[in-house]
Amino acid sequence: MKAEAQLLKGHLDTLLLATLEAGPLHGYAVMEALRQAGGSRFDLPTGTIYPALRRLEAAGLLDGNWSVVGGRKRRTYALTAAGCHKLSGDRAAWRDFATTVTSILQARPCPAT
Amino acid sequence: MSSDLTRAYLADLRRRLPADITEEIADGLATGCEYRLAMGQGEDDAARAAIAEFGDPGRLAAEFTRVAPGRRAARILLASGPAVGACWGAALIAAGAWTWPVPHLARLAFGAVLLLTVLVLAGAATSRDSYRRTRLAVPGGIAVVMLDLTMMTAVLSAAPAVTWVLTIAITASLTRIGLAAKLIPRVLAH
Repeated sequence: MKAEAQLLKGHLDTLLLATLEAGPLHGYAVMEALRQAGGSRFDLPTGTIYPALRRLEAAGLLDGNWSVVGGRKRRTYALTAAGCHKLSGDRAAWRDFATTVTSILQARPCPAT
Repeated sequence: MSSDLTRAYLADLRRRLPADITEEIADGLATGCEYRLAMGQGEDDAARAAIAEFGDPGRLAAEFTRVAPGRRAARILLASGPAVGACWGAALIAAGAWTWPVPHLARLAFGAVLLLTVLVLAGAATSRDSYRRTRLAVPGGIAVVMLDLTMMTAVLSAAPAVTWVLTIAITASLTRIGLAAKLIPRVLAH
């Protein structure tokens, strides 16, 4: 499970951008969406997701806005045009990579010795 | 009891992180508690689980420090140092600046401020768990602007002629002033 978490961390930015593609969400909702999409495999520490959202915002890929919900201040994140563009690029690169790896890993009968 | 737990956790975070980040975490913590209460957990258990989800305050503060705009700004300004410095070095050597009538004390003072600025920026750039220390990028950035302005004013008033090497050095300084003017407000905003 630890190895999977490390693997996921390497793709965290793309996963966060993809989660926000459907519409703006606040930090906890982003985490819940990732959990629901990936089950226990996507159970990334919350302390990783919130700083990552700030980092993506500073990079201009997300736009963060405050609102008041139920008397509480809430920060909601939305994809920017640059974020959409980055997500498209990452998605295409991932598809290419996955296709190549799948083709290499395809089960073949072992040669008889 | 549960509000005491979350209040203590948030008070700890407030000592380490800016108010807007703590407010965002407070909302996440409250949402996590509500989610668990709706699933039938008791108040204390819900608060403890939500706090555990966010993790140790020191570790959380370190994660935010790692991505702090001040840390990034300080690193960019430090990285610009060798390039801009090389431009000025070449320009001063080409112009024979050692023959200019600049008081010895002024040269020493400029060198001392330059060294102090590098140390201040290095402090912000290398901060691992102190968000407050990343804010040193603001005085460091202002000092960079002042040093660039001082250098340009002094050289333009002392140099007998503006050469192309000097023009490159001035352009490098102006570019860095523009960069600092863009980076400093971002640090102040967080």
